[in-house]
Amino acid sequence: MAGVVPPGATTVPADDASKTKKADEKVDYMNLPCPIPFEEIHREALMSLKPETFEGLRFDFTKGLNQKFSLSHSVSMGPTEIPSQSAETIKIPTAHYEFGANFIDPNLMLIGRVLTDGRLNARVKWDLTDNLTVKANAQLTNEPHMSHGMFNFDYKGKDFRSQFQMGNGALFGASYFQSVTPHLSLGGEVFWAGQHRKSGIGYAARYETDKMVATGQVASTGMVALSYVQKVSEKVSLASDFMYNYMSRDVTASVGYDYILRQCRLRGKIDSNGCTTAFLEERLNMGLNFILSAEVDHSKKDYKFGFGLTVG
Amino acid sequence: MAAQPKRGGVSLPERRPVSKPESNILARITSSPIVSRGKQAASDAAFVSRKLIRSTGKAAWIAGTTFLILVVPLIIEMDREQQFNELELQQASLLGAPPTAPASK
Repeated sequence: MAGVVPPGATTVPADDASKTKKADEKVDYMNLPCPIPFEEIHREALMSLKPETFEGLRFDFTKGLNQKFSLSHSVSMGPTEIPSQSAETIKIPTAHYEFGANFIDPNLMLIGRVLTDGRLNARVKWDLTDNLTVKANAQLTNEPHMSHGMFNFDYKGKDFRSQFQMGNGALFGASYFQSVTPHLSLGGEVFWAGQHRKSGIGYAARYETDKMVATGQVASTGMVALSYVQKVSEKVSLASDFMYNYMSRDVTASVGYDYILRQCRLRGKIDSNGCTTAFLEERLNMGLNFILSAEVDHSKKDYKFGFGLTVG
Repeated sequence: MAAQPKRGGVSLPERRPVSKPESNILARITSSPIVSRGKQAASDAAFVSRKLIRSTGKAAWIAGTTFLILVVPLIIEMDREQQFNELELQQASLLGAPPTAPASK
């Protein structure tokens, strides 16, 4: 679900570059469209290039009890990678069951998930007024010092969006995103992590037309991310992404496609690290989806395949 | 067979020095420079072709599995979409002309 920002990853101050140019084109600069939220600027590229690949079996069942309330049961079995010091990837077969409850109202959204290994996820999204939204996100685990929570306060103006974030471990952040022309929006973010004594600032730009979306983001943590998505037809879109970290000299480029056909949705991508993934969601029946996921990493010789079923 | 460092990377195995001349005519033929040159060339060719086959094999494996993951599901799905479209067209033409069908009978 969009709108969840991992703690410590972003946000920081609102240094924006909003300028109002009085151009001679027939553009009404007083009536610009409202841009999308700052954490979603890479949304199209992420949807095409980073599907949720998994390994093993996955079964999701969602049952609606009411118009607003629904329960979900999810079973997943398969090898899970554990981080190891050596270059070898160590996989241990695990299985868990996740129970969830969702309450969805036009103004209020509550989502909770509990796993069999004792983890609890909770998300709240509350629209106080038309323009002000409060979001909260919490993850509790059995291990000490691994739980975290975050609060977001979003304000949506006529042609801008601003957000203030507070998380545990003295994490503060703010971001601001402004529409400068009907197609271009610019913005920035600032964050301060008290526990690690780190702070950072970042800038982002997004250019969007009917056929394509181009975004760029630079952050003082050393990350430069550019992405470009072209909508070739209403069924097909192609995306490419470039990420460069100038502190650790890490470069990754990837190219992918996204085919949305009537019976299925197929996403494929190939990476400069020698990794190709494919994700297929096939509609077998009304409300019944069959998913297949494949991730082949030629350089690390790591092969992950998964299959599953989604009901409801 | 050690490889002498010429330009880095792979190089041909080093050549053995020529041995002393024999008295036997057969031994003289087999130790003549032409024959030894020919034998050296044959072993070099075998070495190079073995490397070439191995790297072609690796490239073919990577290309083949990547094609299988990225392209084969796409072909299958596009084919299904086309079949589905044809079926719909057929059904539309069947159901779309009921008033004229009994009239033509």
